[in-house]
Amino acid sequence: MIQRYRASAGIMLAPAVTLIGIFILLPMLLTIWLSFQDWSTQTPFSSASFIGLDNFREIFGPTSVGRDFKGALTNTVIYTALSVILILPLSVAFGLMVYQHDVAGGTALRTVLFSTYMVPMIAVALVWSKLYSPSEGPLNQMLGLFGIGPQPWLSSPRSALISIVFLNVWQQVGYFTVLAIAGLTQISGSLYEAAKLDGASRFEQFRFITLPLMRRTLLFSAVIAIINAVQVFEPVALITQGGPVGSTNVLTYHIRRVGIERAQGGLGSAMAVMLMLSLIVVVCALFALANRKDVE
Amino acid sequence: MSAGSSSRLPRNCPSRREALLATLMLAVAVTSAFPLVWMVLSSLKTPAESMQVPPVWIPRAPSLDAYEKVSGVVNVGRSMWNSLVIASITTAGILVTSMMAGYAFAKYHFPGRSLLFSVLIATMFLPPIVTLIPLYRLVGSIGLNASLAGIIVPNLANAFGIFLMRQFISGVPDDLIDAARMDGASELLILYKIVAPSVAPAIAALALFAFVYHWNSYLWPLTVLQGNADAYPIVISLSRLLSYNRGAVNTGLVMAGATLAVLPPLILFVLLQRFFVDSIVGSAIKG
Repeated sequence: MIQRYRASAGIMLAPAVTLIGIFILLPMLLTIWLSFQDWSTQTPFSSASFIGLDNFREIFGPTSVGRDFKGALTNTVIYTALSVILILPLSVAFGLMVYQHDVAGGTALRTVLFSTYMVPMIAVALVWSKLYSPSEGPLNQMLGLFGIGPQPWLSSPRSALISIVFLNVWQQVGYFTVLAIAGLTQISGSLYEAAKLDGASRFEQFRFITLPLMRRTLLFSAVIAIINAVQVFEPVALITQGGPVGSTNVLTYHIRRVGIERAQGGLGSAMAVMLMLSLIVVVCALFALANRKDVE
Repeated sequence: MSAGSSSRLPRNCPSRREALLATLMLAVAVTSAFPLVWMVLSSLKTPAESMQVPPVWIPRAPSLDAYEKVSGVVNVGRSMWNSLVIASITTAGILVTSMMAGYAFAKYHFPGRSLLFSVLIATMFLPPIVTLIPLYRLVGSIGLNASLAGIIVPNLANAFGIFLMRQFISGVPDDLIDAARMDGASELLILYKIVAPSVAPAIAALALFAFVYHWNSYLWPLTVLQGNADAYPIVISLSRLLSYNRGAVNTGLVMAGATLAVLPPLILFVLLQRFFVDSIVGSAIKG
């Protein structure tokens, strides 16, 4: 019997494992290997020649390659931090609205919030580049109603990156709201009843029951939000092309430009490896932080 | 855990509190819906209306002219068909590979199971850009670049689907499966006839996610197609409209294109939302 199921396990796993192995795991290993090679993306892998850490020296060096990469890294860090800082509190606030409310409006609000997550980025880019238009854009027209002067949005290096953050928060916050709601449903109602009997205020209930018990959900949301944020590509490729003056040149866009468009496969791979390492460090740090609080 | 009304926060001052909350919720919903509502309204305006100052928010005589004009700029039919082919085949593949692997991880004991599962799940957290450069070369070297197959084949299996299916198939009683084995049913038949119907809502949810994700996906198709416009999915062909986005005269045209791209995933979401909610609530209760 056992033998038979062992064979079945092999058959059941073969398609998924083969596909993921060839199209995700193998390329990941190749990326690491290529980061130590001098290699043009237009040539076969066999033409790569080992150059040690030269690619890494170059992307952190003083030349234009290094300046562009360090700029993209900085932009990505800022972009990711801003996204997480905006998305997490909003998702909890919206989650509480949907979950606490006893009337039908909660479900409707969840539907509206989540529907933006289904919208393809090309539509988001087409719509938001118009909304943000400095002269005839609806956003500046509405600000005008409140006596606020027109904002440059995407056309100024000072505000372009944050404008793209807003656009992404608008699109993704519904997804994180659903995660928050799933976390809220796990909290036992009896805890709130007991706290109320002890005279805890609404804010105290939130501070000492909801927030601590949401920590695992928030950790998961933070990890997903970070991984989503470093992937930002379409709004940059479609609207700003990394500009103005490099202010929205983020890593995914920059790595594709170097590794695919300029065919500098070795350099691009070294950048991709740095991205992967940074992600691992950040995610491990987050988990360590969460576990330390668990012990307290 | 009690997931019903008993677990909601107790209310102390219902009427005022609810009025405030309702107002806030309305404000959030309006803000969230505004860009898409504005998109649809703008797509129905005439060029004259688009250029009017102060702006016209709601078109007086809604017209579909802009939609006709989109077909003059973008090959809508062809691109929509490409998107449909890409998203459908990819989704079908993901359903099959995820159910098979999910079943194996949920119901078989074999050496290295948890290690293999961890390695597969780790790929869920890998941003696609990390593998993009070698994958581009790899797919080119097996002759699949610049084709629909090149978009589809690398995406026929993914860790999220396996994870979701394992979660739900774990909840299918072993007795049910053992009884079918006693009757001499093959493992694939059991998966198809016994397991799949038991986890139908989760399959619907996965199908929705996969279809929408691959309908919307941009980075990989753009990279692998190398400018072969015949194979462009709708989200790539519509990027041509961005060059029409200067000045107000073509706003209707651009928004009509955006609306066309939004409709299929949004319709699917509205139709299948129930399954999606079921599976989220289900997984929350199973915890």
